[in-house]
Amino acid sequence: MSSPFDLAAFWSQWPKAVADETAVAAGRITRWPSLWERSRRVRKGSSPAEVVYEEDRLKVLHYLGNASPRHKTPLVFVYALVNRPYILDLKKGRSVIANFVEAGFDTYLVDWGIPTSADRHLMLDDYINGYLVNVLDFLRERTGVQKASVLGYCMGGTMSAMFAALHPQRVRNLILLAAPIDFASTESLLNVWTRDFDVDKFVDAFGNCPAEFLQMSFQLLRPVANWIEKPIRFYEHMHEEEFLEDFLTTETWLQDNIPVPGEVYRQFVKYLYQKNLLTQNRMPVGKHIVNLRNIRCPVMSIMAGKDDLVPSAQSLPFNDLVGSKDRRVLLLPGSGHIGLAIGSRAQKEVWPQACGWLAERST
Amino acid sequence: MNETTSFDKAAQDVAAFQKMCLESLAKSFQAAFKFSPDSAPPEILREVRAGIFQALTESWDQFMRSPQFLESLRQWMDNAVTFRTMTNEFLGRLRNEVQAPSRNDIDTVMLAVRHMEKRLLDRLDEVSAQILKANGTSPARPPSAPGAKRSGSKAQRRRGQPAKTESEIS
Repeated sequence: MSSPFDLAAFWSQWPKAVADETAVAAGRITRWPSLWERSRRVRKGSSPAEVVYEEDRLKVLHYLGNASPRHKTPLVFVYALVNRPYILDLKKGRSVIANFVEAGFDTYLVDWGIPTSADRHLMLDDYINGYLVNVLDFLRERTGVQKASVLGYCMGGTMSAMFAALHPQRVRNLILLAAPIDFASTESLLNVWTRDFDVDKFVDAFGNCPAEFLQMSFQLLRPVANWIEKPIRFYEHMHEEEFLEDFLTTETWLQDNIPVPGEVYRQFVKYLYQKNLLTQNRMPVGKHIVNLRNIRCPVMSIMAGKDDLVPSAQSLPFNDLVGSKDRRVLLLPGSGHIGLAIGSRAQKEVWPQACGWLAERST
Repeated sequence: MNETTSFDKAAQDVAAFQKMCLESLAKSFQAAFKFSPDSAPPEILREVRAGIFQALTESWDQFMRSPQFLESLRQWMDNAVTFRTMTNEFLGRLRNEVQAPSRNDIDTVMLAVRHMEKRLLDRLDEVSAQILKANGTSPARPPSAPGAKRSGSKAQRRRGQPAKTESEIS
């Protein structure tokens, strides 16, 4: 039986609580002057790397480990065309890439660069059958290994899946991280909003899809969390050094939006969000049609249980659509889209498993 | 008649927003009184606040899926596109007047280049296929979809260069 509510004791706690809060608030205020300077000093990418290949705006980074790679098959990270790829190597202890480098993988990252108006005519064909083919060919020449493992994050995962289906002879293993594949679900607000969106008019008028538009759309997915809860949480914890560092690093990346080439945006919205052609094996990429059944390499699909951007319902069908026999799903419940990459739980639970899975298949 | 219809529509929009606000408020109040009286005062406030935010999040999610919100979004996008188109046309005319290349001119040149590239790549594909056929080997690239159109690829078959300078990311 619960004890009776003691009103006097309850009220007596308030003066102490107010005094404690005042003291902490004073500590927070002293932090304000240095915040701007600290936010400007945030590093974009933490692991040592060198640029090994360049083409137009694209750069391929090779990550340098302390020892020579133990696994022969190179691993290529393919990031989305939205935002910058350093989320995969955000900071020490929260870097997906560092996990793989330390596990002995010869690790590369494709940085697509920042598109300008001149790139508005680039299509998925250019990225998948052009740039990615060239990158994989370059790695084959550099390493002497015929096939590489490909890890795609978010939109980069969708592109990686298309690449693996069109060029199965170049992919040894495929890992998709929160990659949207099935766009039929209306769980994500993005799917609801884009259903009747006139993307032709939009791209014809704007050229590239503006970074500000994308930023606003992502913020609007969770208005209460982004515009009310986040500032409050920041104020409450800004006196904690670790929190402040994590917050500034993550926010720097979140605000670092880039435009998406107009034609790619048009194809993504029209063929995927509106017609869901990928799951029907009818997705056109240049003169080719993507058939996911052509993917016969080992596949691992990693997704988050509380992802607002790419709900697990959008990634889950992938394993049933491919022709592979070696398939694995890794679901991190309670995690969000970004948490899947940089969250402390993901670092402990997801990445060691993913490294182990890939190591067994990279000899 | 039209005025009545637009008035009805506006009234429906307002009613939907009002419903969302009232529901948010009701849920927030319910959440606010769910705290445990044994908790320390700051904890009580945090519990209340978390409940209110949860209620607000659910209400906003529902509202942002409502036909009224989607209609407003569509109108807002239409206006943004119209404004941008007008700006483009104005700037295009201005540049033409001062004999400078406008976005339209650049697009026309780009399209011409891409069409030329497409024709060349198609021809190259045919030549490669003939060479492979003569050598008795199969093509390395995936087969084309029947009747599919080539988009003309900027990066295809144009290899980049290995970087000459190695720079460490800072």
